[in-house]
Amino acid sequence: MKGLKAMKKTAEERIKILFTKHSIPPLEVIIPILEEAGRGEQELTAQVYDTYASLAMGIKEILGLQGNNMKTLAKVWEIIASFGGEKIEPIELSESRFSYSIKDCELHVGKSVSSNVKSKFCDLICTGGSRALIDTVLGPRRGTCTWNKALIKGVGKCTIVFEIVNAK
Amino acid sequence: MSFLKNSLLLISILLVGVGLAFILIWLSMAKSISYADMKTILTTTTATFGTLLGIITAGLMFTQGKFSELVSELTEKSPDYLAKVFSLEKIQSIETHLLALRKTFTQLAATTAIAKERNLYERIITKTSSIFVDFAVLLNLKLKQQGLPDTGLLVSEMDPNLYKVYQKRRQGIKKEWQIFNIIKQIIDTWEASTAFFIEKSNVKSALQADLKSSIAVLKLKENVDKSSTNIRSEVTKTLSDLNKEISEISKRLHEDRIPQLLPQMKQASTIRGKYFYLTLIFIATPLLINLLVLPQLSETTATFFQPVISVTSLLSVMGVIFLLLYIHKILNV
Repeated sequence: MKGLKAMKKTAEERIKILFTKHSIPPLEVIIPILEEAGRGEQELTAQVYDTYASLAMGIKEILGLQGNNMKTLAKVWEIIASFGGEKIEPIELSESRFSYSIKDCELHVGKSVSSNVKSKFCDLICTGGSRALIDTVLGPRRGTCTWNKALIKGVGKCTIVFEIVNAK
Repeated sequence: MSFLKNSLLLISILLVGVGLAFILIWLSMAKSISYADMKTILTTTTATFGTLLGIITAGLMFTQGKFSELVSELTEKSPDYLAKVFSLEKIQSIETHLLALRKTFTQLAATTAIAKERNLYERIITKTSSIFVDFAVLLNLKLKQQGLPDTGLLVSEMDPNLYKVYQKRRQGIKKEWQIFNIIKQIIDTWEASTAFFIEKSNVKSALQADLKSSIAVLKLKENVDKSSTNIRSEVTKTLSDLNKEISEISKRLHEDRIPQLLPQMKQASTIRGKYFYLTLIFIATPLLINLLVLPQLSETTATFFQPVISVTSLLSVMGVIFLLLYIHKILNV
């Protein structure tokens, strides 16, 4: 009976429920907490990893995305970003590479936090999130992700690049 | 809002343009105009004003018709909502969850020293209280609908300020269909507005989103100092229960197209009032002057009042502009 009820829900309803269950803490709140505690950075990265891994797995299941390739990763990330309210601007999508830029980011807002702290938290969040996506969609250690922190540096849009690691 | 700004700009430009054109014509013709010509102007403008008023009345009737249609559609649906969608058990259950959340987050806000964290918890308290009041209002109306006396159920859980809000919202419901304003307010506070177009200034975080954020914060704190395990699991369960209960209401509300009908009502009401009266003033004033005052004047005085005729004619042109805007708005309801 429960399964029947779940089947009646549309994909977007199921994704909405998925996002209700898994979310990362708001950075404007968590940065001062961790800064005051002087610890908890590893825990934050682990929590971000778990959250994005759960979201990616859930989305793959709901939409029936089977491929372990860059296009699937892009599709999954597109959905996570859209439901999370983040706008991404595409740059490139190929078999081995997916890159996009963002005009705004939670870390970019708020002048009360220094650039060094923003930079540190940018690394923590992006490391946890990208690793979760790569591990869940492409497979463990099958890809890399780089980000240029342009928003934090104040030099335009931030560019994020996912690349497949060539097995030798 | 941007439409209103654009309309105002358009009106201002048109008014300035018409004003300048009229002043130029008046300056070139003022000294040579005869009394017979003036009578012709008077007759023509009076006929124009009469026609315009006729059109205005037709427009008003059209808008009123649209408004009445929406009112009857919503009024027809409201008893079913109060009787079935909002059962006493459901309201009691939701209110219990809201009270639990308010208590938990009041304690959390009191114990944290981090301003941003406290702000998050205080936002939750404010929104929880707001929804609590809305449900109390609905419960009050529901019981009245079932023939019970004007009750004050749930008011004991309110502080004086919240009670004032409750009274204000309850007294604000003068028509049956207005309960939908309260229901939509609950849904918007819980899950954020689902309208296609929302102005950036109106975008507020929903209670549901704030609760999710707080759970994530509590989870991290729990991992760091093992402090809030029970609180997080309680809030998570309450969020899940509330989500289930409010989602059912939201689903029904959307199925009945209430979020679309309410803005249409608001727009129809605005058009019916603001634009009509504005147009009426611009048309009725010169009409009164031309019909009642000017015909009583002697030839010399009439010549003296020639600028008045110019002004009334200008006003009639402005009346036409407002009328066009009025019809444009009507067609977009």
